[in-house]
Amino acid sequence: MHELGIVQEMIEIVSTKSGGAKVKRIVLEIGKNTCVLPDAIRFAFHLASEETVADGATLEIVETSGEELRLKEMEVG
Amino acid sequence: MCATCGCDGDVHEHEHDHEHGKVVKLEADLLAKNDHLAGHNRAWLREHHVVALNFVSSPGSGKTTLLERTIRDVGKELGLGVIEGDQATTRDADRIRAAGARAVQVNTGTGCHLDAHMVAHALQKLEPERGSMVVIENVGNLVCPALFDLGERAKVAVVSVTEGDDKPLKYPHMFRASSLMLVNKIDLLPYVSFDVAACVANAREVNPSLRVMEISATRGDGLDAFYGWLREVRT
Repeated sequence: MHELGIVQEMIEIVSTKSGGAKVKRIVLEIGKNTCVLPDAIRFAFHLASEETVADGATLEIVETSGEELRLKEMEVG
Repeated sequence: MCATCGCDGDVHEHEHDHEHGKVVKLEADLLAKNDHLAGHNRAWLREHHVVALNFVSSPGSGKTTLLERTIRDVGKELGLGVIEGDQATTRDADRIRAAGARAVQVNTGTGCHLDAHMVAHALQKLEPERGSMVVIENVGNLVCPALFDLGERAKVAVVSVTEGDDKPLKYPHMFRASSLMLVNKIDLLPYVSFDVAACVANAREVNPSLRVMEISATRGDGLDAFYGWLREVRT
């Protein structure tokens, strides 16, 4: 459930940083010790990105071993 | 430079689509907002000389029953106030008030955990007195609440003997994040197959410095030790 909140936070950040430009790709780092499920993130992203700058963007998830939960980069344009 | 044709983009009309966009480095911690708000809560609590504890467990471990008993026994002495987190209803806050303490109910709706923002609002409503103690009873869930710092001094994990003694291994994040584990409902031990020693060993495997107390919130076993810990953590 918490994945939806995390995705909303992520979309808020990319919307602000992209300045309204369309976001094509987002790279997210998820550590194994965060109890955040990559599949749940993908599902939540699909729903929450509708009608935002991130609608249709590719979500790349890099799984790491620690406690990272970090939005690494995005591709706009 | 265009990766497809190698041009600088201004020299000629492009017939191919430019698939590549501008890469923007973000390096944004997605829990930063919650951690930042939890920091505010922690500062506010320190300023007001209030100690907050975050009680976490599965649903039905007996957190509310334990708090009712604690309020009756030492509620006045410790100045206990309670923030109750549940998806719906004010049942728990009603029980806490009936036991004689101030309580604020937070309903998370579809949410599975309390976050620092909800707790900030609840603290304003609760208005704990200087030198008092606030127990935040988190939503019954051993997964998500481990991830969200609320500004508490310590997390207390409650397991009951009607659950499996392997819970700490199955939900290691929560037990790793906690300072104290209470094994509740030990009055029921004769009727269940729960192995206390195995549960403690499992918990220490994920968190070697975890304090453990065996209690029965209904019969009263082990509560003096628990109250002693509350007094200790308050100072």
